[in-house]
Amino acid sequence: MTEKPHTVKSYEEQLQQLTNNLVIMGGNCETALGNSIKALCNNDNTIADTVINNDTVIDNFESQIEQEVVDLIALRQPMAIDLRETVTALKISSDLERIGDLAKNISKRTKLINNNLPYNLTQSIERVGAIVQKQLKLVLDSYTNRSPEIALDVWEKDEEVDNLTNLCMEEVIKYLKSGNENIEYGSHLLFVTKNIERIGDHVTNIAEQIYFLVKGSYLEGDRPKGSQPIVNGEK
Amino acid sequence: MNKIEAKKVNVFYGDKQALFDINMDIPERQVTALIGPSGCGKSTFLRCLNRMNDVIEICKVEGEIKINDYDINQKSTDVVRLREKIGMVFQKPNPFPKTLYENISYGPEIHGMAQSKDELDQIVEDSLKKAALWNEVKDRLHEPGTGLSGGQQQRLCIARAISVKPEVILMDEPCSALDPIATAQIEELIDELKKEHTIVIVTHSMSQAARVSQQTGFFHLGKLIEVGSTDKIFKNPNQQQTQDYITGRFG
Repeated sequence: MTEKPHTVKSYEEQLQQLTNNLVIMGGNCETALGNSIKALCNNDNTIADTVINNDTVIDNFESQIEQEVVDLIALRQPMAIDLRETVTALKISSDLERIGDLAKNISKRTKLINNNLPYNLTQSIERVGAIVQKQLKLVLDSYTNRSPEIALDVWEKDEEVDNLTNLCMEEVIKYLKSGNENIEYGSHLLFVTKNIERIGDHVTNIAEQIYFLVKGSYLEGDRPKGSQPIVNGEK
Repeated sequence: MNKIEAKKVNVFYGDKQALFDINMDIPERQVTALIGPSGCGKSTFLRCLNRMNDVIEICKVEGEIKINDYDINQKSTDVVRLREKIGMVFQKPNPFPKTLYENISYGPEIHGMAQSKDELDQIVEDSLKKAALWNEVKDRLHEPGTGLSGGQQQRLCIARAISVKPEVILMDEPCSALDPIATAQIEELIDELKKEHTIVIVTHSMSQAARVSQQTGFFHLGKLIEVGSTDKIFKNPNQQQTQDYITGRFG
């Protein structure tokens, strides 16, 4: 549904500003995730530092969006589609902020590893990282285009992310088992893999929010789940 | 259960048609809000429900309006009796230029609802209590009603409306002349009154419609665009026109 503009222009501008900030914040998260994986696989501490330092930018966007949402609710009392725009912006920004934190955490671990990892490991991590990156890009596209169809595709694809995460976990566990000297790096890599999978979960949360934003109803049923996790986590 | 059922209601002011084929059910003991821009027909529809349009000579009402399954537009309808059952409160408080007591006692007296002075006293007290006005006026019942504040006057008018035990109360923008405190008092009162009465309220304040009603109807250019639960109308209406109106996208 393409909405016609509000009669009160400043209200229209405020809502537009909220959307714009969220899109920029999402772009920052995309960069952070891409760079954190690149830094890990190429053992590049400079890129890792960029990710760590830029996280404050993402955090500031979250605060800014929260303030804008509070202002909109207090001063404009949005209804229907506008209310959903406002409330989902708050929720999406909080998921994006977590994505930023998880990418930052990958980079912190990259700096602790500070070593070239076996090729098969980096390949596995790159593979799961790439699909999560693609998911993040798609979900941000679905937000920009207000497309519940893309959001639904993203939501359904989380299963694939889960399956690739488990394969990656298996690789890391093999690496851990192959020698005591691998325990330190291997432990970090378990967290890295888990972080990527958690980013995937935040992406599907965002997809659910976008579906609600456009449709006004919630996605029904359980999110598709992949194979049983090797390491039980928060899920 | 529906208290009121309107079917294919058309209203004309002379040659000009003001309402087009309105079909609307109004559930019992709930608040139904009618919203829409000025001139959309919401007040005209409200006034159909107790045949207040009869007093406008050029006004012609067609269609069926059933209250308790009885079509009120029949020729044989006793409109005085009808308005006893279906009371009305207007935008501007309009107390009679009489004492507070007489404002309330007038209706029950002409309808022969009290057999004694004591009984009448009791009706006056009960009505003022239900209108949440008793404590403020109990010591000055014989002073003029026009001496009250705007909010108190409006509650006096509500007390006057409920004194004859109506089944339905129609309210035409009852808070538009009131401050936020008086408005909150009326809204609280509406919440209480709906336990015993069916209420239909016309309001220009969408937040008021959202706060007080369980069902909302949106009128535009004489047509009922959408009617549904208030929750649905304000969160995710079916019609684009409704959404444009409630979110402030006019014209």
